[in-house]
Amino acid sequence: MSWMRIRELVRKEFIILFRDEKNRRVLIVAPIVQILLFGYVVNYDIKDIRVAVMDQARTSESRSLIKTIAGNKTFSITSYPEDPSGLEQLLLKGKVDIGIKIAPDMTSRIRKGRTAEIQILADGSMSNMASIRIAYTVMVLDTFNQNMIKEIKGQSLDYGHIDARIRAWYNPNMDSKNFFVPAIVAFVVMLLSLLLTSIAVIREKETGTLEQLIVTPLKPIEMIMGKTIPYIVISLVQMILVTILAKFWFDVPIAGSLPLLFLATCLFLMSTLGVGLFISTVSSTQQQAMMTTFFFILPFFMLSGFVFPIANMPVVVQWFSYLNPLRFFLVILRGIFLKGVGIHVLWPQFLALTILGTVLFAGAISRFQKRLD
Amino acid sequence: MNPRKINAVMRKEFIHLIRDPRSLILAFIIPLSLILLFGYALSLDVDNVETVVVDYDHTAMSRDLIEHLDASIYFQIKAYARNANEVGEYLDHGSATLGIIIPPGFARKIKSDKGSPIQVLMDGSDPNFSNMARGYVNAFVAGYNNKLLLSFLNRNGLERINPPVEGRIRVWFNEDLESRKFIIPGLIAVIIMIAGAMLTSLVIAREYENGTMETIKSLPLSALELLVGKSVPYFFIALTNVFISVLLGQLLFGVVMKASFWLMIFGSSLYIFVALALGLLISTVTKSQLMANQGAILLTYLPSLMLSNFVFPITNMPSVLQLFTYIVPATYYIDILSGIYLKDLTFTQLWGDFAVLSLMFIVLAALNMRLLKKEGL
Amino acid sequence: MTPSNNDVIFVKDLEKRFNDFVAVNKITFTVKKGEIFGFLGSNGSGKSTTIRMLCGIITPTSGQGFVAGHNILTQAEEVKHSIGYMSQKFSLYEDLTPFENIRFYLGLYSVPSAQWKERMDWVLDMAQLHEVKDRLTKELPQGWRQRLALGCALLHKPDILFLDEPTSGVDPITRRHFWEFITDIAGQGITVFVTTHYMEEALNCGRIVMINLGNIVAQGSPSEIVSEICPDKPDADLNEAFITLMSRGQQ
Repeated sequence: MSWMRIRELVRKEFIILFRDEKNRRVLIVAPIVQILLFGYVVNYDIKDIRVAVMDQARTSESRSLIKTIAGNKTFSITSYPEDPSGLEQLLLKGKVDIGIKIAPDMTSRIRKGRTAEIQILADGSMSNMASIRIAYTVMVLDTFNQNMIKEIKGQSLDYGHIDARIRAWYNPNMDSKNFFVPAIVAFVVMLLSLLLTSIAVIREKETGTLEQLIVTPLKPIEMIMGKTIPYIVISLVQMILVTILAKFWFDVPIAGSLPLLFLATCLFLMSTLGVGLFISTVSSTQQQAMMTTFFFILPFFMLSGFVFPIANMPVVVQWFSYLNPLRFFLVILRGIFLKGVGIHVLWPQFLALTILGTVLFAGAISRFQKRLD
Repeated sequence: MNPRKINAVMRKEFIHLIRDPRSLILAFIIPLSLILLFGYALSLDVDNVETVVVDYDHTAMSRDLIEHLDASIYFQIKAYARNANEVGEYLDHGSATLGIIIPPGFARKIKSDKGSPIQVLMDGSDPNFSNMARGYVNAFVAGYNNKLLLSFLNRNGLERINPPVEGRIRVWFNEDLESRKFIIPGLIAVIIMIAGAMLTSLVIAREYENGTMETIKSLPLSALELLVGKSVPYFFIALTNVFISVLLGQLLFGVVMKASFWLMIFGSSLYIFVALALGLLISTVTKSQLMANQGAILLTYLPSLMLSNFVFPITNMPSVLQLFTYIVPATYYIDILSGIYLKDLTFTQLWGDFAVLSLMFIVLAALNMRLLKKEGL
Repeated sequence: MTPSNNDVIFVKDLEKRFNDFVAVNKITFTVKKGEIFGFLGSNGSGKSTTIRMLCGIITPTSGQGFVAGHNILTQAEEVKHSIGYMSQKFSLYEDLTPFENIRFYLGLYSVPSAQWKERMDWVLDMAQLHEVKDRLTKELPQGWRQRLALGCALLHKPDILFLDEPTSGVDPITRRHFWEFITDIAGQGITVFVTTHYMEEALNCGRIVMINLGNIVAQGSPSEIVSEICPDKPDADLNEAFITLMSRGQQ
């Protein structure tokens, strides 16, 4: 194996990649945009549940209920519609998340020792958010109940009750970004390494320079190294860039070991480059290569546990996710960023990445032949 | 505008597509797999939280609490640990995502009418999960406390009283709180962007790269005719995808439209026009297939997925980004579609969305034509 | 028939089929060291397919071939150490400068670094590219790129030079300089194998083979062929001979 040949191949690849100004921009700008986007957009924190309250009772009890709701920081009462259709409109237009209807007979029922019904109308459009909002609303009603009971009884009621002290183990503030931003690192690394490798060989085919390479004593393994080393370097640089942004811009903690992170990225790259090379050997035009790459990226991305939990997926799909290197890489990333765990916990994932990477890369290499027919 | 010229451009584009069957097939398979993925595999709903419990109290009362926990649909007790450290290990390894620790003296405190803390440790990594888990824990505790309160009242001979208020919950638009119902509209928006914008983004760039753009410029072909001719095949691909998605949504997932079918077609077509215009514009600007593809991912796929109120609520985003969502076409289309699917709205209620989409189309198309004319078309 | 020591290219019954289509139909010929050997034929006759088989770009369907003493079927990679190839499209890296292109090929052919400066200057000299060595290749005119491609094919001092339609799209003056150069290096012992469809160019070759629809229809020196095909026309040229052969084929 001639290192001189590999060196010249790598040098050529870098020159061509960076000579084009548009290229340069995309390589730097794309990951930055992606991390900013994901970092700020992807957010499931509960805050500002928008509530509309229609108070048809207008008594001290109903006002007390409203005060209890308003007193909870998670809620934000944005309007007081006068009639049912007003409330309906607000929900229809998506202006409020929860509508609360207090019936006119609230106070009389309570005074008679009966239960007054409060209607909670929830916008079910985003069902996961809706569930949470409903749970919070029910909780506020319970708080009101307890206060009211104490008032009615006229005495301070001390009774045995549970105080739940809830703490988040890792990510104590339960910041969305701490979960998603590390995953962006994976996404960014995967996207470009896959895309660029998949078209790297095809562009040479299309311009005719591939033929020229075949005619030289270049060995397939040298060719592959010449095509992958540049993208390994670029992906690693992007990873470092994104990690720096994660830490210093988004304040995402990095509880674990950075060298381990680096190692994991290299292992992950074996898989993506293998897939990219494979795609380039089965595609004849850039368009085909790009569409095929996208076809692979989608399930890799969606089924990796990035946004949607793997535990929620049907069992068959969960098995498939074992073939997805991104899945393991994400566990490692989150383990290192959030949990601060090391190789003694993460070794199964590292093993899986190594196996997948070797198989994929070796498979791609075996398809590389120095022939054009 | 000469229909025969448009025909010629259109035919060449069709031939190109047919000769590259793989891209064509992928244009249908990718959307299909998205639907199957989202319909079957992807869900944000949280239930059966795997819980590990530590009982330091070992009393009838603590066991009662644990029983109630187990009985609740929200929690699934996976194991009983001996101490908090073990809980930590379960969380570290991911075998449980919630730990509940009942301290010693729990029953004693409750019996003496005082409050007893219990420790709840959540895996805070996934905020979607932890928010829901926290909500469930709080709801569960509130319910259990109510039970405690009532038994207290009964024990002390106080009248058994009814809770003053009770929430009667009605969920609107998505009664079963199924993720699928709101996912299908968003999905269609993403699918159209893929079929309509990502594919077209390569179209003009390809001509530049192959050198055939020079030839085209020398022809008596106007920019408008070129753009229209090029768009037609992709319009049909995108529209077909819409039909497939709607059909699958209905057949496989029981997601049915509440409002007018024609409204949906009208809205979808308009959105497809926007997608086509966007894709072609990206193509003209970048002049390179690689750049066009990257640009398409950044400017069409990602925003329609993330900034359109599809999966991530806009209200949670910082104001700057919320402003951005106003220029994402998918936001308006998803509004239209969820209106049609979930809310049974009419055109008059949605005219604002239609207007914005029309405006976007006109602006994008006009920009593209300006650019092409400047280049000598 | 076996290759003798002086045969740098030896081909016997070489065949290439693409599914049902026979591109090269069991052809046989030899090329001696230092010859300028021409492969003549119209487009689609099988010239490019033949040259690509000899260079190891595509695999023959059947038959034998030896280039620089190596078997093209089993030792294709060894062959590549001793040959240089210039394709029809002068495949150079457009986004690289001539300097960068040359350096690239120097590395690719594993030319020892001590020789790099000398080889680089040699190529820039013969291609007259000193002034533009740092301009992007895509900005250079056709004729200059041809010279650059030729230089890149020769910088590792191969024994055999394969040229596939080397002068397409190039002006007559450049073409003449080109052939002067080729004759020069052939005189230094490098064998040159050229395909072309320009009959006048074939006159520069010592021996030629005319190929039509995958079959060899004539072999020998240009004058031999003309006198053989058109014996009754003393003023006939290769063009006429070719046309005569083609029309014979039609009958």
